[in-house]
Amino acid sequence: MSLDRRKVGVFAAAFLLRLLLIVLFPSLPDLLTGRVEVSTPVSSFKRLQEGLFLYTRNVSPYDGGVFHQAPLLLPIFALLPSSRDSPLPSVIFYSLIDLLNANALIAISDSGQAVSGRFYSALRKHIRWDGFAIAAWFLFNPFTIATCLGRSTMVFTTSGILYAVSSAVSGNSFNAMLALGWASYLSIYPALLFIPLVLLCYDVRAQRTKTAPGLAIFVVQHLAVLLLSVVGLLGMSILIIGDFSQIISATYGFQLLVPDLTPNVGLWWYFFIEIFDSFREFFLGVFWLHLTAYVGGLTVRLRRQPLFVCTALLGIFAIFKPYPSISDASLFLGLLPLYRHLFPLMRYTFFAVSALLYATLLGPAFYHLWIYAGSGNANFFYAITLVWSLGLSILLVDTIFAALRDEWELDNPQMRGKDVKQV
Amino acid sequence: MATPTALPPLPFNPSRARSYLLRLPLFTRLVLLATLVFWLLELQTVWSVVQWGALTPSEINLGTMYRLNTYPLIHMGFFHFLLNVVALTPLLERFEAEHGTLTAVALFIGPLSTLPAGLYLLIEKGIFNRNASVVGASVWVFLLLASEAIRTFKSHPHFSLGSTKIPTWTSPLFVCAVVSALVPNTSFLGHMCAIAVGYLLGLGYLKFFVPPEKILRFLEGKLNLLGRLPHYVSVDQKTFGRYGVLPTSAPVGDRPLPPPRSVVHLQIINNINWVEDTDLMALKSAIRNLRSNPQFLFARLPYILSFICIVAGVVWLALLPLDDYSRRTYISENALLPGQVHAYFSGSEQHVFRGYKKEIESLLPASYHEVQESGVRDAEFTPVVSDKIQSILRAAGLKVATQNYEYSSSGITHQGQNVYAIINAPRGDATEAIVLVAAWKTADGELNLNGVTLALTLARYFKRWSLWSKDIIFVFPPDSKSGTQAWIDAYHDMQPASIQPLPLKSGALQGGLVIEYPFDHRFESIHIVYDGVNGQLPNLDLFNTAVAIAGGQMGIGASLQEMWDHKNDYRARLETILRGMLKQGLGYATGAHSSFMPYHIDAITLQPKGEGWQDEMALGRTIESLCRSLNNLLEHLHQSFFFYLLMHTNRFVSIGTYLPSAMLVAGNFTIMAIALWMRTGYRPRATAAVKPGEKSNDETPSDEKPSDEKSEVEQKSQTEAKDATSTTERQLALPLSLVVGLHLLGLIPLYTFNNLSYKYYTPATYAYILADILLPIFLSALLTRHTSTSTKTNPHQHHLIKSFSLLPLGLFLSTLATLNFSLSFIIGLLCTPLTFIHRIPKTTPAPLRYPLTLAGLILLNLLSPPVVLLATCAYTGTSVETVLTQAAFGWDVWGMWTQVVVWCVWWPAWLSGGALLGCSFF
Repeated sequence: MSLDRRKVGVFAAAFLLRLLLIVLFPSLPDLLTGRVEVSTPVSSFKRLQEGLFLYTRNVSPYDGGVFHQAPLLLPIFALLPSSRDSPLPSVIFYSLIDLLNANALIAISDSGQAVSGRFYSALRKHIRWDGFAIAAWFLFNPFTIATCLGRSTMVFTTSGILYAVSSAVSGNSFNAMLALGWASYLSIYPALLFIPLVLLCYDVRAQRTKTAPGLAIFVVQHLAVLLLSVVGLLGMSILIIGDFSQIISATYGFQLLVPDLTPNVGLWWYFFIEIFDSFREFFLGVFWLHLTAYVGGLTVRLRRQPLFVCTALLGIFAIFKPYPSISDASLFLGLLPLYRHLFPLMRYTFFAVSALLYATLLGPAFYHLWIYAGSGNANFFYAITLVWSLGLSILLVDTIFAALRDEWELDNPQMRGKDVKQV
Repeated sequence: MATPTALPPLPFNPSRARSYLLRLPLFTRLVLLATLVFWLLELQTVWSVVQWGALTPSEINLGTMYRLNTYPLIHMGFFHFLLNVVALTPLLERFEAEHGTLTAVALFIGPLSTLPAGLYLLIEKGIFNRNASVVGASVWVFLLLASEAIRTFKSHPHFSLGSTKIPTWTSPLFVCAVVSALVPNTSFLGHMCAIAVGYLLGLGYLKFFVPPEKILRFLEGKLNLLGRLPHYVSVDQKTFGRYGVLPTSAPVGDRPLPPPRSVVHLQIINNINWVEDTDLMALKSAIRNLRSNPQFLFARLPYILSFICIVAGVVWLALLPLDDYSRRTYISENALLPGQVHAYFSGSEQHVFRGYKKEIESLLPASYHEVQESGVRDAEFTPVVSDKIQSILRAAGLKVATQNYEYSSSGITHQGQNVYAIINAPRGDATEAIVLVAAWKTADGELNLNGVTLALTLARYFKRWSLWSKDIIFVFPPDSKSGTQAWIDAYHDMQPASIQPLPLKSGALQGGLVIEYPFDHRFESIHIVYDGVNGQLPNLDLFNTAVAIAGGQMGIGASLQEMWDHKNDYRARLETILRGMLKQGLGYATGAHSSFMPYHIDAITLQPKGEGWQDEMALGRTIESLCRSLNNLLEHLHQSFFFYLLMHTNRFVSIGTYLPSAMLVAGNFTIMAIALWMRTGYRPRATAAVKPGEKSNDETPSDEKPSDEKSEVEQKSQTEAKDATSTTERQLALPLSLVVGLHLLGLIPLYTFNNLSYKYYTPATYAYILADILLPIFLSALLTRHTSTSTKTNPHQHHLIKSFSLLPLGLFLSTLATLNFSLSFIIGLLCTPLTFIHRIPKTTPAPLRYPLTLAGLILLNLLSPPVVLLATCAYTGTSVETVLTQAAFGWDVWGMWTQVVVWCVWWPAWLSGGALLGCSFF
């Protein structure tokens, strides 16, 4: 494959931009690492450093209750030079991961699954961006850059998800399950993507080969692959740490039970601060149920566009998961341009984007007023996280509306371009 | 977006109510309108309409006779207004319909309001000798009721209730009794007077007030009133029927029906003309029309809304000094207990003070003693002085340490040595501390000899007390600008490399007091300075405590914002607010206390002012009492406000009250941005067809947009979108990159003005003025060249540029309003023209267009950042160099970010506004 010159240009520019930022503002990575919008308890680079420190001294990294990330990250980072002297090596490493993610995005875009699949072919499929434009959109997104410089470990989950999707659309369903296994191993919730992803794999398989296997067998096979991959990774973790129950309680237990209520851009922390402890388990169940409930509904309703279901689910995760950060939003925003053909049908983009911009500016301001100036309080920041979630929700709902409308127009060609009123 | 096709059935027939309302005659309408207007006027609180126009017996003299006519039109509140209007409308309508508009005017403006009023005055004042005011249209209601009752009486003299026969003319009396029994605050007497006059009217005794029919007919014929005035009722009802002819109101059915929505899209513009009908019921259809009238909705309404926002914002600010909007200050933190302890600092301490002063004076250079007569006194903070201060503090038993620091900013090096000492709390555990600062030079650069001596005396005095539960730190920086900053940075281990760390530390700082006493004579009052860096303010409780102690306990007056002569009237209050806002907006350090604010340490400066009889001991006692109050604190000051505007030493407005003002000003930009965005999405179908394909644009950075493919694709999409939807694809690449580029361009002046040597500031300012003149024109030339080759839809591009440049402006300003209200408000006001300027359309004839553009550009240049800077400097008489050196110093040392706002928010928005206006040249 001959190297696309524009792609090289975009990648080089994105890489250089990150280097330039770190050279011009050497304190930027540390500043971003400390921001609650970038680093959550389950993805913070600072906490990773703590775990790494304990790990390299042969103490269990989960002692002390600071580190809550997957054990396999530790040997990877132990290979890197220490980031205490200079953040440069770690930022270069994260930039490379970003480039890999962008590469996966290009692969997804080039497959064209976003506009036409097995059962479906979008009406406006000629309105679309090139792979490299989508990569540029992702790489130059300030949220992505902030995540990269803040060195949130969420990027590994992101790359797991993106590679799972890109393998799925290119027909490599085995790799897709392995990548999804990696993402789920790191932070559970990507496992929810299994159903749409396996449907996507199946559709691609059915498109390519005339004699497709039965759906049930296909799903069971892939579920087995996914489970095996997770089990394999957990086995490797036990080799590294040893104490299995400690790993599970410190990582998955931590993510499922949400004991750390450090502020973040999500909706859980404030709710669980305010709630009486006796109701805690009940609402934990409700919140998780709420998060998982979308999978079934969206998959059924949008059966013809499994890739879109994945995108919409990622948007939902960015809003409703327990420890969201801007890196989740950047993943969702990175996948959105795949649906460039839906943009003409969307109605509230400007308002959603304005709300996001307002939240982006006011969030740090109110956090400052609360934590540093002491003249505000937690409600200030929580109000802004509500605005942020509202902006994302509007964008998400608008996208889903556009996708449904597109499907509907496909089914009812006589109604194209007509105003329709629901009764 | 759909309008409901059928309304739910109403209990009464709305079309009858509608036709009734539509047929209301002219004078009735006018009376209703006037009543409504007066009620609306009463809503504001500046000028009381009721007091102005009520019928108050004691207020009536020759000059206030107008009250005899105005009182029926004024009401006390919404329900009073509503009930009277509901009661009056049918009666008045009937009267006017029967007697004609002119007669109604003559009677109701004249005798029918003055007669009851006169009667009322006579009885109320003459007989009862009371003074109850009356307002409201109920006088007319009862008057008309009474006259109707007489008429009824003539045809049906009685109505029977069982066997008793009650004369019908008494019915108004029953009504009046019931009303005064049921409704509180009604004037029984007033109603009775009205009924009496009504009887007279009904019996025909007031006929002589009615103008002769001949005159009326003459007037009507000459002026052609019937033809000119809508809803006019002629004198000659017999000729024209009961309602006369209502010339302009065509039958309802003839009105053109609103076209269906799809048709509306085709005929977009210019259908506003048929919304002229002012009828109440036409309002609904007017709103419906508005929705399908994009011309008004997108092109006019946003301007009106934005303008209203700005005016409302400014008016809001102007209302703040009024008593209704501001509050008296109060001590919110009960632990402070200001002035509850006796201050013992007096007597022999004065001898200590004099001794210390002599000791330090003896160390000062000869030049100090020589020029003392001329009043100019200056001496540097030499190592000898520093050693002396240290030895005095050591002798008093304090732990002493020093800190060297060095800052360099715009080519000037500021260096010095801070001396500080700590009293360890006898009853504390060194986790909390209070700071007392006495800088060698005050904020104005004067020698603060008395202040330093007083601090030394206080240090010796405080050391002997056993009641301190917080450590007390005495800091003696060589100047007020850099010394405290270096000290407080180092105290929190945040200092840059050129500054020594502190060898000696204490606990968390709870509060700071700065003492300035730069003269030798006695003083009159204490001036409290409280503004911090970047407009941060100390907790209001600290300020209140200082005012309470100085004023209440010590009997020394307090003042603020250099308002020496504060009369506590509207003007003085407003001026105090504005002075405070200016300081807050500029965000510079107003004294040594300002450096504490960023670390969330509340601090104020106390400056003795004026010639009076208070001596340094009085100041010392004030400080002692303040320290005792701070010593009482159980937790950090947090109870009271951090965001406030002070207008007097005991009056303030809090953020909830004043914030809407800046938010409204900032909101006007957002409204405009949204409106422009929506406008670019709307497009007449007819012109959508001629949309040409655009070429790849060379200016777009490659990362913004895939150029070639996209444009082809876009073109196809356009042709399809034409029949798909009526909204169109927007060309975002150019506007986005222009706006982002301009914001990045702002970094250049930011860098220059913070890093140049101070000598070059004046020429740099002029260079930027020149650049500001040329840059918009250059940009607009580029824009025009680009857009004319690529696409003919450049109006849309211009709209988008404006939208995208106003959006971040509104965004930044509303964020800023929560951090630094004043800066946001000031910049918002300076940017207001940007909402309203736009490219003058090409269709405007050239002789008009060029001068207009030129005038606009000149006006705009007068409001550019460097010109505003120059103008302010010229107005206040300071040199540009001083201001900019100070600003750069603020950036380097204090962490002040006023410049960032100016160059990265204001300037880019200004530039894109200028570029848009400049486009009209080409």
